[in-house]
Amino acid sequence: MRYYESLYIVNPNYEQERLDEVMQMVADKMGEYGFSIINHRVWGKKRLAYSIQKHKYGSFILLQYETELAENLDRFERFMILQKPILRNQTMVLDTRPEIHVEEEPVADESEEASVETEVEEATENTPETIETTEAAEEESPEESAEEKVEDNESGDEESSEVDETEEVVEKETEEVQE
Amino acid sequence: MAFQSRKKFCYFKENGITDVDYKDVKLLRRFVTDQGKIMPRRVTGTSAKMHRKLVRAIKQARNIALMPYTNTSTES
Repeated sequence: MRYYESLYIVNPNYEQERLDEVMQMVADKMGEYGFSIINHRVWGKKRLAYSIQKHKYGSFILLQYETELAENLDRFERFMILQKPILRNQTMVLDTRPEIHVEEEPVADESEEASVETEVEEATENTPETIETTEAAEEESPEESAEEKVEDNESGDEESSEVDETEEVVEKETEEVQE
Repeated sequence: MAFQSRKKFCYFKENGITDVDYKDVKLLRRFVTDQGKIMPRRVTGTSAKMHRKLVRAIKQARNIALMPYTNTSTES
């Protein structure tokens, strides 16, 4: 049995329903080709390093599967390329069977949260401008500021991706300031 | 960074990393320049074995738009 991993990018303008449709379509096709899915989940909406078909963002979907019929991989690749909503896809061979992904629920101690909030608030009070505050928070406590942002947006699934985005945005801001 | 005189070490060996995942962009960013170029082994001190894996992972990440091929100032 061989294990594979496909990461594909779906048009960022698709809402959750249409995204689910695309995922379902891919899943159906996989069943047709005799692949059994291990993981199929939305990895998050991320900023692309370069624009693809004039899209700056993309919804990344991670698909891990196993099969013994490796000859169908070419057909699957062809199918993925021909789909209009899928901007790009990449398939990799995995050495070992991937672990089944379980959605992590944000479990955090209230006391820790409170301490983080106060620290970040202090940091923001000291510096008047918003850009500087983000920089200061980033320099002093990058993880803590990220955690605070997580608390701000309470949507369960997209937390990690949005944190990544915010981190990237902050990094870019700092780069610009340095320039 | 490159001109500091300090003992070079393999980041992966120190941290006990045996495989490089192309999805781990945070790790890969350590080994590319601001322009997006892969830094040479003589600068990073990565072992030959891990450098080969690293280069492959960076190229895979570029293909799926997680990392830039080039990052010029005119683009951003």
